[in-house]
Amino acid sequence: MKGLMWKLLRKHISTSQLLGFALANLVGLTIVTLAVQFYQDVLPVFNDQESFIRKDYLIITRSVSSAGAMLGNSSEFSDTDIADIERQPWCRKVGRFVSSEYSTFATIGATNGKAMRTQFFFESIPSDFIDADPGEWDFDPQRPEVPVIVSRDYLSMYNFGFAAAQGMPKISESQAGIIPLSFTFTGNGRNEVLPGRIVGFSNRLNTIIVPEEFMRWSNDRYGQGGHQHPLRLIVEVNRPGDVKIKDYMDAHHYDVAGDKMSSSKAYYFLTLIISIVGVVGVIISLLSFFVLMLSIYLLLQKNTRKLQNLLMLGYSPAQVSRTYIRLVVAINGTVLAASVALMLAARYYYMLTLRAFGTQGGPLWQSLAAAVAIMVCITAGNVMAIRRKVLSLWIQE
Amino acid sequence: MQRIELNNTLPAVFAGREEDNSQVWLRQVAFERGKMYLISAESGTGKSSMCSYVYGYRTDYSGTIAFDGRDVRQLSIDEWCDVRCRHIAYLPQELRLFPELTAIENVELKNRLTGFKTRKQIEGYFEQLGIPDKVDSPVARLSIGQQQRVAIIRTLCQPCDFILLDEPVSHLDAANNRIVAQMVTDEARSQGAGVISTSVGNNVMIKVDKEYKL
Repeated sequence: MKGLMWKLLRKHISTSQLLGFALANLVGLTIVTLAVQFYQDVLPVFNDQESFIRKDYLIITRSVSSAGAMLGNSSEFSDTDIADIERQPWCRKVGRFVSSEYSTFATIGATNGKAMRTQFFFESIPSDFIDADPGEWDFDPQRPEVPVIVSRDYLSMYNFGFAAAQGMPKISESQAGIIPLSFTFTGNGRNEVLPGRIVGFSNRLNTIIVPEEFMRWSNDRYGQGGHQHPLRLIVEVNRPGDVKIKDYMDAHHYDVAGDKMSSSKAYYFLTLIISIVGVVGVIISLLSFFVLMLSIYLLLQKNTRKLQNLLMLGYSPAQVSRTYIRLVVAINGTVLAASVALMLAARYYYMLTLRAFGTQGGPLWQSLAAAVAIMVCITAGNVMAIRRKVLSLWIQE
Repeated sequence: MQRIELNNTLPAVFAGREEDNSQVWLRQVAFERGKMYLISAESGTGKSSMCSYVYGYRTDYSGTIAFDGRDVRQLSIDEWCDVRCRHIAYLPQELRLFPELTAIENVELKNRLTGFKTRKQIEGYFEQLGIPDKVDSPVARLSIGQQQRVAIIRTLCQPCDFILLDEPVSHLDAANNRIVAQMVTDEARSQGAGVISTSVGNNVMIKVDKEYKL
């Protein structure tokens, strides 16, 4: 019966039309799966803590030149300001910088040898905003030693600026931890010296960070109880480079430190471009879907009489549709397989480049699921259309 | 299925006709299982329309048609498929063969659906109707008379309560008419089925219980 039905109904099948559909759908589907897969593969590059494109933390201050700065303490962020930032859709969390409220001098170098003495300052932020792994990051007033995390830029500045000009030795990151360091704190009638140690370097934080416990302890001990509100905030954003963030910052006269806003746009634009490419793929797939629809309609139209005769013999619309449904499923299945193969081949080549960024790529299942989902939708649409068309031939008036 | 009834049935194209001499249209007509009927008609009086209404592929009529008292308009598609496979064997006037298939393939297309006749029985019919050499010929290459015989064989390849024949012998000579009449009568008897045959003049030579003028 299968053979006879096929012999009967294959007439008028246009190979060129079906080939056109298959090619168009292959291109569309491959673009979609490739876009999804590329996104998955590139994502680890952005999520890598040490990666240079990772810029989803913004450090913001009030613009000093803004009109508001003229009015007293307006360079502080009030609780209302912070709550407003936290409400923004792009904001994940906000951390407050707390500054030291006393005078500090740092002495670098052996006490009995050549030492450098300089005025110093500290800030602290919640530890989950810190990108270095400092090991022991706490402070015990009973055995006071001050651990600090320094901006990696400072070390570079010393090594390639100061040390080079003064004929001083260069210091590696591991050596920095054993440099003798002490801090002299003055305030509240006290003048005390505590030992210190550099425990890590940060790319994200352009300052000198101490544990929050130490900051509270030292501000209580030496400070005057001055600043209640932070002057700087660190904001973790979910869509770095989003224009809405820039608009918000401009509207509130906030400054974003460094070029983080502009460099973080890389991620945003990449997401945007991949989305556009994906949408183009979906549109091509949709168009190809209509090409197949037209082709099948034409085929059914040309075979109308035959289909009606089969129905009159007692074949059900489902049995009559089956031949064409099999055809569509076979074509779509082939396109799906070819598209996945093409995607994997393309991935093999771009991964050669991406591996240079230290990523092994993302998982495959999302792109495969997208390919299967699109194909299932297209096939379901085709099958429904074929069934409807055959049903419409039931009455022959 | 025991009865096919037509109650005040009238094709939509005849709507508004006040006076009608027809013994079928706008009348109460019942066809009983096991009996032979002839619907004689002039051309254009709607005999093929009547067949298409009873077989369920046209609905452009007023009044009702009922199988055992059930209005056929209520039948689902599945029920109609069942009617076409197991209750009404239909020979359309335009034959509705598939020209690209061979004679035997045309018959097989029906018989595989019903599984009613053996290959041997089918070849026996070809033999009886004088076309054993045409079994494997594409239908497109057969004369209209030969095609009509193939279509008749196909009609008989199913269990049924009624055999509905629309001008079954219009292209056959008297000898073949007689053979067809015998085959149809035998098949109807063996199944206890009724026969409804239409004709514009060349009547199939079966002994009818009742004749209606359309």
